[in-house]
Amino acid sequence: MWFWLLGYLVLMAKITAVLTAVMVLAAYLVLVERKLLGRFQVRYGPNRAGIYGILQPVADGIKLLLKEDLMPEGADRAIFLAAPAVVAITALMMFAVVPFGPRLTIGGREIPMVITDINVGLLYVFALSSLGVYGVALGGWASNSKYALLGGIRGAAQMISYELALGLSIVPVVMLAGSFSLVDIVNAQAGLPFILVQPLAFGVFLISAMAETKRIPFDLPEAETELGAGYHTEYSGMRFGLFFLGEYVHMQVMGALVAVFFLGGWRGPVLPPPVWLLVKIVLVVLFMIWVRATLPRLRYDQLMNLGWKVLIPLALVNILITGAFMAA
Amino acid sequence: MIRAGIDIIASIAAGFYTTGRHLFVRPFTESYPEYKRPLPARSRARIILTRDPEGRERCVACYLCSGVCPVNCISMQAAEDSRGRRYAAWFRINFGRCIYCGLCEQACPTSAIQLTPDFEHIRRDLLDMVFEKQDLLVDHCGKDPDYDFYQHAGVVTGLAGKGDHISENAPVNTRTNMP
Amino acid sequence: MPKLIIDNLEIEVPEGTRVIEAAEKLGIYIPRFCFHHALGAVGACRVCAVKVLEGAVEGVQMSCMIDAQDGMKVSTTDPEAADFRRSVIEWLMLNHPHDCPVCDEGGHCLLQDLTVAGGHSIRRYEGGKRTYTDQYLGPLVQHEMNRCIQCYRCVRFYREYSGYNDLGVTGIAGRVYFGRLREGVLESPFAGNLIDICPTGVFTDKPSRYTGRRWDFERTPGVCIHCSLGCRTTVSARYRQVGRMEGRFSQRVNGDFICDRGRYGFYYADRPGRPRSGRISGQTVSVDQAVYEARDRLQRITEEHGPQAVGVIGSGRSSLQTQSAMVHLCRTTGWQGPVFRNTRITGAAADTAACALNPENAVSMRELETADAILAVGADPVNEAPVLALAMRQAQRAGAQITAIDPRPLEWPFDFEHLACRAEEIGEALASAAERLSDSRRPVVICGTEITDAGIVLQAADLVAGLRGSGKTAGLFCTLPQANSFGAALLDECNACAADLAARVEAGQIRALAVIESDLWHDFPDRPQLEKALEKLDLLVSVDFLDTPLFEKADIGIPSLTVFEAGGIYVNQEGRAQQVRPAHTGGLPITVTGAGDHPPRTFAPNVPGRDMPAAWVTAFCLAGQAPPETDAQMTAWMRYNFAVLSDLARMDADGVRLFAGGKTPIAHEATMPEKPEQCLELLLAAAVFGGEPMSDYSQCLRELAGLPAVWMDRADADRHGIAAGDRVGLGFENGEVSFVVRISDHMAPGVLVVYRHPDIDWQPRAGDTRYNIREDRIRRIEKA
Repeated sequence: MWFWLLGYLVLMAKITAVLTAVMVLAAYLVLVERKLLGRFQVRYGPNRAGIYGILQPVADGIKLLLKEDLMPEGADRAIFLAAPAVVAITALMMFAVVPFGPRLTIGGREIPMVITDINVGLLYVFALSSLGVYGVALGGWASNSKYALLGGIRGAAQMISYELALGLSIVPVVMLAGSFSLVDIVNAQAGLPFILVQPLAFGVFLISAMAETKRIPFDLPEAETELGAGYHTEYSGMRFGLFFLGEYVHMQVMGALVAVFFLGGWRGPVLPPPVWLLVKIVLVVLFMIWVRATLPRLRYDQLMNLGWKVLIPLALVNILITGAFMAA
Repeated sequence: MIRAGIDIIASIAAGFYTTGRHLFVRPFTESYPEYKRPLPARSRARIILTRDPEGRERCVACYLCSGVCPVNCISMQAAEDSRGRRYAAWFRINFGRCIYCGLCEQACPTSAIQLTPDFEHIRRDLLDMVFEKQDLLVDHCGKDPDYDFYQHAGVVTGLAGKGDHISENAPVNTRTNMP
Repeated sequence: MPKLIIDNLEIEVPEGTRVIEAAEKLGIYIPRFCFHHALGAVGACRVCAVKVLEGAVEGVQMSCMIDAQDGMKVSTTDPEAADFRRSVIEWLMLNHPHDCPVCDEGGHCLLQDLTVAGGHSIRRYEGGKRTYTDQYLGPLVQHEMNRCIQCYRCVRFYREYSGYNDLGVTGIAGRVYFGRLREGVLESPFAGNLIDICPTGVFTDKPSRYTGRRWDFERTPGVCIHCSLGCRTTVSARYRQVGRMEGRFSQRVNGDFICDRGRYGFYYADRPGRPRSGRISGQTVSVDQAVYEARDRLQRITEEHGPQAVGVIGSGRSSLQTQSAMVHLCRTTGWQGPVFRNTRITGAAADTAACALNPENAVSMRELETADAILAVGADPVNEAPVLALAMRQAQRAGAQITAIDPRPLEWPFDFEHLACRAEEIGEALASAAERLSDSRRPVVICGTEITDAGIVLQAADLVAGLRGSGKTAGLFCTLPQANSFGAALLDECNACAADLAARVEAGQIRALAVIESDLWHDFPDRPQLEKALEKLDLLVSVDFLDTPLFEKADIGIPSLTVFEAGGIYVNQEGRAQQVRPAHTGGLPITVTGAGDHPPRTFAPNVPGRDMPAAWVTAFCLAGQAPPETDAQMTAWMRYNFAVLSDLARMDADGVRLFAGGKTPIAHEATMPEKPEQCLELLLAAAVFGGEPMSDYSQCLRELAGLPAVWMDRADADRHGIAAGDRVGLGFENGEVSFVVRISDHMAPGVLVVYRHPDIDWQPRAGDTRYNIREDRIRRIEKA
């Protein structure tokens, strides 16, 4: 009996630790992004709330929580209320399969340093990533606003397109690791991180990941200059906050997936494994911020061209080459 | 095609280099309010009513500023004072509406209404943004230290009669037929 | 009909049309300062230059000085002409002062417009500017000669068009001066038109000095209600207050000009004492409260004593809306009235005049200008209906013979023959003067209703009918006492007058009076009878926009709206119904809410003082009914309920002519009893300034009214040893009143004429405007 209880307690502890880390990181990513964007543009970024603006996320959080929760007239009430939660929850749930260390042995019991190691972890990740589209598309549709609707439609089209490239690009990794389990994939990189073996897959995956997170240069669903704020135009207060949170958690997930698939996951010398994972996530995310500071938004047709005519063929070719090498 | 691919990658890399280099450039943001940049005298912010070199109100309440104001934030009523000078019995600017376009200053024929660089005059209460004449009047000539409209106008006031103004001849004698 | 081409556009114009007018018909506005369509051309300003490309005289010509000729080809845009015009503007601006910001003309100044249009902005000439000394020209017109551009419009209007001679031009060369020979008040009652006609700011409006710029004013087409002519005006309102009045062109009524009474008479509308809240027994209450209290108490009296116990009194200064609402009030409640006139004599004269008009014999003022013979019977246009005098002046300038039959010392600005006779002799004089019209083709008989009676009006109408019978296009032109007396005559249903109601009050039959926009205290001839009647009343309700003594005395006072706030329809003396639009939405003016300083620093969604209803709304409320909601619905309601008003549907920019049809006027009594021996007949006559209750509230016009004066024939004066300028006291039953004596050589002997004056707080005991005074009651108080 106590055996089961202990198992649940350990699980709860892991969930709590991961969620806390992810949430805090998401909040501070916002600050880091704003600060970095400021510096990229030769200004300071937020520096008023606390020293160097470190209390800015707290201030933002308070503001978002206290703001009035508006709902447009004619909005589909239930869907409008649910959409932000869909986005945030799917993003958070993806962390369930990300391993953040080797198995620990405490008191003779082995504790896996992953919330749950399912053998189709990779498929689970893609399934949740696809579900995230519903938050965007339904939020945009339920707002009863033309900007939001356009944003939602764009989001659906874009995320479905890039889901394909994302999935195909990872097939060689699966082939090399011989498993869908993220734990196994990390273990497969004990010698050599896959980035060195599969640079093309890495590139395709990174670009697709940015498109999945709807970040510049793929932020067409939001597109402030064209659509106001796209699918979340009509959202305010903490509902908008959930969309926001979802986006930054998604960034971390993608960072973590890049780390797991290509950078060896938690593996690294000297530092403890979770720190290595964190460092790798942060590096990927910083790169995404750099991209945001550098590249302009793609046009819709360019976005589709890039996805269907460049990334998917590249990924397919990559699978063929990998298969050929493995067969050889 | 490979060349084109290299060009694309090179140009994207150049972009990343440019933005990346900026990380190491000192931001040139001026931190207001720790540092307040000295503004040019012709910056357009809070509006004042100046006085002429003799210290008299310049405003003659000609309604040109209120007429030209695109947001109708100026209102006034003209009247005649004891010396026969036209002046504003009351003069009101609603800074809650003002867009600081400076058209009033351009329209003013007497250099009375002027915009100053002082932009820090925000009030908590909207009604406090409504400035009356006593709030607008200042004790100097502003940007135009020499101009005195009544020296040029040619109208009789308690201070000068016909022919006493700049570039005016003495009143003619209409009763003589001498050429 | 010459056909010419202007700027490649062809137009055919009547013979004698100037090129500038032909261009205007094409919609091409050629700049002008001196040319004015009412005054004609003099070619003084040179700014209307055009280039004649083909024609008798080719080259740059003044378009106001050349007649349109067949085959002429004119260019207004030719560079040579444009350059000429630009130079002219620059020359005119050489001496023009730099005072536009403090000049009241700025904003509606022709010179300013054309200077800007011509692109002249820098004075290149560096010499000094010519200056002039200005003159005091009275309380109405401000003089500033520095601004003059010598277009001669002022003297042409003042001397030629209106016929007064005290303003003229002196000096030569560059010293030409437009002013009076000696400083002083302008004599013409049309002096205010100088302001409209001056293309720049030499003559500006003095009472409205500095009140506002044209672009700030809400400018609304209005109709003057200070006499029965119904001249068109432009009302300029700002800050919930009328600031200025200007003449408005009308093809049918007044032409371009209005008189000073109409121009400056509006100050009653915003005077501080104007009633703006309800009043019950001296206590200030809300308007609604006063209206409901009045309705309840009138109803109670109706229930106790029957509907015959309530009387309703109106007047000719109310709009047609108010008058018809009052008739409706009496129809539904059974109350007595409404009566619109004070006594039978004047009432019958005005009614008869209105009923005598028909589509054939009625003439407008414009048509009167083309008359070739005019016979004025008991009419003094300068004092009763001033703009009529301008129209007569134009007829006279065109060669019309004008004859006046009148006891008063007429001072008209044109040549006329004055047959001075006593009021009761007018009928005989008219009969014998009729043959003077026998040579004319378009004679007009002008008939006054102030000192005449219905018999004379009928006689005049018969004369016109006779003339028309002999093939002449004869016209009848009657002046009426008030702006909407014609409307009152159309609507009247009760065949009574205020004097009748007063008698019924004294007899105890009437216990309550509702007086709507009528100044009985001022107008009712028999003050003692009125006072006695008021004392016997149980209830006096007064609805008015003036703080008349009657309003002060009323048990319940209800404020009403002025014509500037409520608008309305007014029917002038020729039966022309004209619509007036409200000039502003009402409410306390900012000068009141701000007490002269800036407006209050508070914000309230409701404008203070905007809760007052128009008088016709109050009339509906007294009847216990809901009034029509909009002005258009009110007009429609009037058309359905009053057959005589059905033509209102055809009202256009010129208004619509309404006629009484076969209506019988109120019965008139025999004229005055014969004048006893040793008596002088005292006539109370209208005066241009001071004779009209509403304009009396204008301070500037009161200044012009001078002192109360009595006019005497020289023979009468000599008999009493009285000289001009003496002060005399006239002893009446109710006290002595003192006057300054004026003596005339051309008035009827045996008559004393007193022009109405706001300072005379006295009414003759009996009769309307005539009173017999014993010669021994004339006492000299002080020698001149």
